[in-house]
Amino acid sequence: MPASSADRAFGPGTVAPATPVAPAPALPPPPVRRRRPLRSRLGVYLLLLPAVVPIAVGLGYPLVRQFVLSFQEYGLAQQFGRPAEWVGLDNYRTLLTDPYVWGVIVRSVVFCLVNAGLTMAIGMSLAVLMAKVGRAARITLQVGMLLAWGTPVLATMTVWQWLFDSQYGVINWLLAEPLGMTDLRYHSWLIEPLSFYLVATVIVVWMSVPFVVFTVYAGLLQVPAETMEAAQLDGADGWQRFWRITIPMVKPVLFVVALLQIIWDLRVFTQIYVLQRAGAPTRETHLLGTYIYSLAKEFSMAGAMATIMLVLTLALTAFYIRRMLREEEL
Amino acid sequence: MRIVRSGVTVTAVTALSMFALTACGGGTSEEPEAPAEGATPQAAEIRMWVNGGDTPQELRDYLVETFAEENPGSTLVIEEQDWNGLVPRLQTALTSAEQTPDLVEIGNTQAPTFTYAGAFADITDMYDELGGDKLLPGFVEAGSADGALYAVPYYSGARAVFYRKDLFAAAGVEVPTTLEEFTAAAIALQEANPAGTANFSGFWFPGQDWYNGTAWIYTHGGDLAVQDGDRWVGALSSPESQAGLEEVQALFTEGTRAPRDADSNEPWVPFNNGETAMFSAPTWARWSIDLPECNKGVDPEDTSDEATALRGEQQACNEDLTGVFPLPGLTSGEAATVFAGGSNIAIPSKSGNQDLARNLLGIIFAKPYQTMLAENGLIPGNADYTAALGTDVYAGAALAAALGAKLTPPAEKWADVEGDRTLEDFFQKVAAGGDLAEAAAEADALIESALN
Amino acid sequence: MSAATAAAPPGPVRTAPVVEGREPTSTRIRTRARVVRWLLGTLAVTVSLVWVFPIYWMVSSAFLPTNRLRTPSPTFFPVDGTLSNFRRVFADPTFFASFKVSLAVTGITLVAAILFAFVAALAVSRFRFRGRKSFIVTILVVQMIPAEGLFISQYQMLDGWRLVNSVIGLSIVYVAAILPFTIWMLRGFVAGVPIELEEAGMVDGLSRTGAFFRITFPLLAPGLVASGVYGFLQAWNEYTLALVVMTDPARRTLPLWLQGLVEANRATDWGVVMAGATLIAVPVILFFLFVQNKMTAGLVAGAVKG
Repeated sequence: MPASSADRAFGPGTVAPATPVAPAPALPPPPVRRRRPLRSRLGVYLLLLPAVVPIAVGLGYPLVRQFVLSFQEYGLAQQFGRPAEWVGLDNYRTLLTDPYVWGVIVRSVVFCLVNAGLTMAIGMSLAVLMAKVGRAARITLQVGMLLAWGTPVLATMTVWQWLFDSQYGVINWLLAEPLGMTDLRYHSWLIEPLSFYLVATVIVVWMSVPFVVFTVYAGLLQVPAETMEAAQLDGADGWQRFWRITIPMVKPVLFVVALLQIIWDLRVFTQIYVLQRAGAPTRETHLLGTYIYSLAKEFSMAGAMATIMLVLTLALTAFYIRRMLREEEL
Repeated sequence: MRIVRSGVTVTAVTALSMFALTACGGGTSEEPEAPAEGATPQAAEIRMWVNGGDTPQELRDYLVETFAEENPGSTLVIEEQDWNGLVPRLQTALTSAEQTPDLVEIGNTQAPTFTYAGAFADITDMYDELGGDKLLPGFVEAGSADGALYAVPYYSGARAVFYRKDLFAAAGVEVPTTLEEFTAAAIALQEANPAGTANFSGFWFPGQDWYNGTAWIYTHGGDLAVQDGDRWVGALSSPESQAGLEEVQALFTEGTRAPRDADSNEPWVPFNNGETAMFSAPTWARWSIDLPECNKGVDPEDTSDEATALRGEQQACNEDLTGVFPLPGLTSGEAATVFAGGSNIAIPSKSGNQDLARNLLGIIFAKPYQTMLAENGLIPGNADYTAALGTDVYAGAALAAALGAKLTPPAEKWADVEGDRTLEDFFQKVAAGGDLAEAAAEADALIESALN
Repeated sequence: MSAATAAAPPGPVRTAPVVEGREPTSTRIRTRARVVRWLLGTLAVTVSLVWVFPIYWMVSSAFLPTNRLRTPSPTFFPVDGTLSNFRRVFADPTFFASFKVSLAVTGITLVAAILFAFVAALAVSRFRFRGRKSFIVTILVVQMIPAEGLFISQYQMLDGWRLVNSVIGLSIVYVAAILPFTIWMLRGFVAGVPIELEEAGMVDGLSRTGAFFRITFPLLAPGLVASGVYGFLQAWNEYTLALVVMTDPARRTLPLWLQGLVEANRATDWGVVMAGATLIAVPVILFFLFVQNKMTAGLVAGAVKG
């Protein structure tokens, strides 16, 4: 746990919470590997209950059903009463023997890693920036981020479409008129897969960074001032404090955010879907999210694809998860 | 209107068999029992779903009033749904006995999928009463499965070509009378650029616009897919389709500068901007034409008499500068076979108010309502009432186009082809100057795997 | 955060400006620090402007008539703009009806999700118990499964309970959808507060609960705000589930209302769409500013009083 690493780095006694009721000038030296209080009572399960019930009912059951359907032939007709036929692994076989599906998988993984990486890098930098600037600049940045995050997607995607429009797009206009690149005046951004993914990356990163900024910034705020001061007294400079205290302390948050970015970027849907409809060659630009959607009338096939994606996500994040589980042992 | 249901079944089935696969009419086992002759269905509130703003308010009011009059004690509630997201809504609501509407409008290309899935009640026995062979045949075909009728045509909107009269005159181009002349006109207009705007197009033809592009295939006698025994096969490689596509490619290369990464949405925008001399769209696009020369700057929410008068003036000015003609066919004097848009209407099989829904269907297909549809510029489901469309150029063009219009292939899984956007991709390749035979073979293979 | 941090005296539980600990004493260093701060501030504002550009474009479009939105030379500043689009949104009674529905759904979802998730996050990060690890892993894995096809089962379930077209029904699926994420986030935040802080408080005579609420809870405020903003946005802007659950036009949520302005067969009045979207975004900003100031200030104040 991060707390422990901070402890190890600076020795016991540096964590000194100064609450009015607890001036605590001297702390008993906390053991480096202190066991969390072990309270395995029914009470704990009661705490989980309110969360478990809605998840199990509202999400768990449909997910299990989706999994079961992936071994059947289940489409629209089955919804209206035609009996569903068991087909075993046929759906999986169909998908996994199709070279096109593998192409989609490879594209999605690359797209996911690039986007998650960019989002994390930009988001973390901006979070640190947010923590270092004055109040006015901070609120400006917060509101700016929030607007990008909170505006209805229908509107933002329409605007992005307009910005990159071949005929009337502001981007083309800016490139051609003030910047003089006249051959880009009517450039079609969406027609080549590579430039399509470039546009998609801009939009996806634009939409995802605010979440990272807010969350990481919140994590940064959690670092108690006293810990910092103590470290400063110990002679650590700004950079050292950042790497040796801040980063370890926000690590759980970074962890979660990075993991979520990978999960979300692997199944990115809306941005790709809208851009495809804006005029991109569909088959050449499918990623897993839009590909599943195109299968959606055959629920069983979409279900099988969903399971494949789960395996893929687990593979991509296995490193994280294993590490996380190990740290949970502490 | 009083609905008489006795003894029509046999004739209906006979009539249906002319276009349907098998002649055995027969409903599904789930079909609710028809009440004894003359029995009044139990009073209830029934709900009808209409999509988008296509059904004008006046028509909705008429339906509500007439239904209440003819079915004492019962009421009709009309709920407007959006075209966007309609399919997931139908996928869920139609499976629920509690939530299902009692009458539902559905896009004609979505109709076969739901019809084959068993979402709708069999109304084969109403065929004659609703209009028989006067019902738009392509739509009836889209609403039929295995020889039974499930969804009937609600309205259709055919595509016609809008053009700037002044630009035609300035470029010395006449309204084309054959498809070949049309291509030549587009190329000539583009070269002349009488509007003097940058990136001027003779004909607005974006790369993914298969709605319009299909007209060339159909007119040359080709098709998107044809049935071959039990299977559907893609037909873009057929010599007829290829002949049409060659012309399409010429038009793409020399007759338009529309972006290749765009579809048929909002073609009036470049038209209003003076960037194209022609575009093709359903005739109701006339309300979207807003040329700067004519714009009076009236606030759309201003309802004063003055504003209304100005708006009238503006519309007259727009229509004065704009002409419209049906896309011409291969020989002079005939219209091209264009792609028809429109919708079907059906009774969901889960509806608990089958009889009331049938009564409502009767009202919709009776003369007064069909006439009202036509008066509002929609081609009514029953071709007998198209006269009410009026005699202006728009009605003329719409009618000429609609009479020969053709739908997408009535394959059970056609919606999958649209979901995969195979045709968008294909036309984009054609627009990019790709090899026609190669692109067609590729698209045919994809269509075939989707349809079977 | 910002207001509270700036206003709070060197108080009980301080949230830190992360990297700088305390102002250096020397004037020269202080001047340099000020310049650096100013430069960083400028950078932050520049980034904000770049980020906000698409939103600016949306708002600017909301002040223009639709026939000026897509023209060969773009209109950057709607100086001769019109309020007509906004007036038309306000004249639309369905906008207010949808606003109420959205407010109710978001309110219920947010309160339930944050409360349940907070309690659960606490359980998994402060207690050891059998099944804890499997719970954490399950919560994570659930989020990895694409949910595009789930709406059908969810619909059938709500239909069985007669909760289609109901605010409660929609809220239930939203809570279920948001909970795994929120638990995960809050778990990270709770884990980020060293238990030693609490233990120190207990050494000083606080009860376990007392130590938690006096010491840990205030430190979690930013995390709660971040999760709250996330939950709010999810419920406020969700489209797919609302689409199938709320089919009655009188019970549409705002995203459905907005989508309803987009015509399929006719010309869409994009100016009105943009005005509507702008108005939908306003409550998000208000919610955030409110939560951020009130909540942080309130928690810090509570800690002082204690």
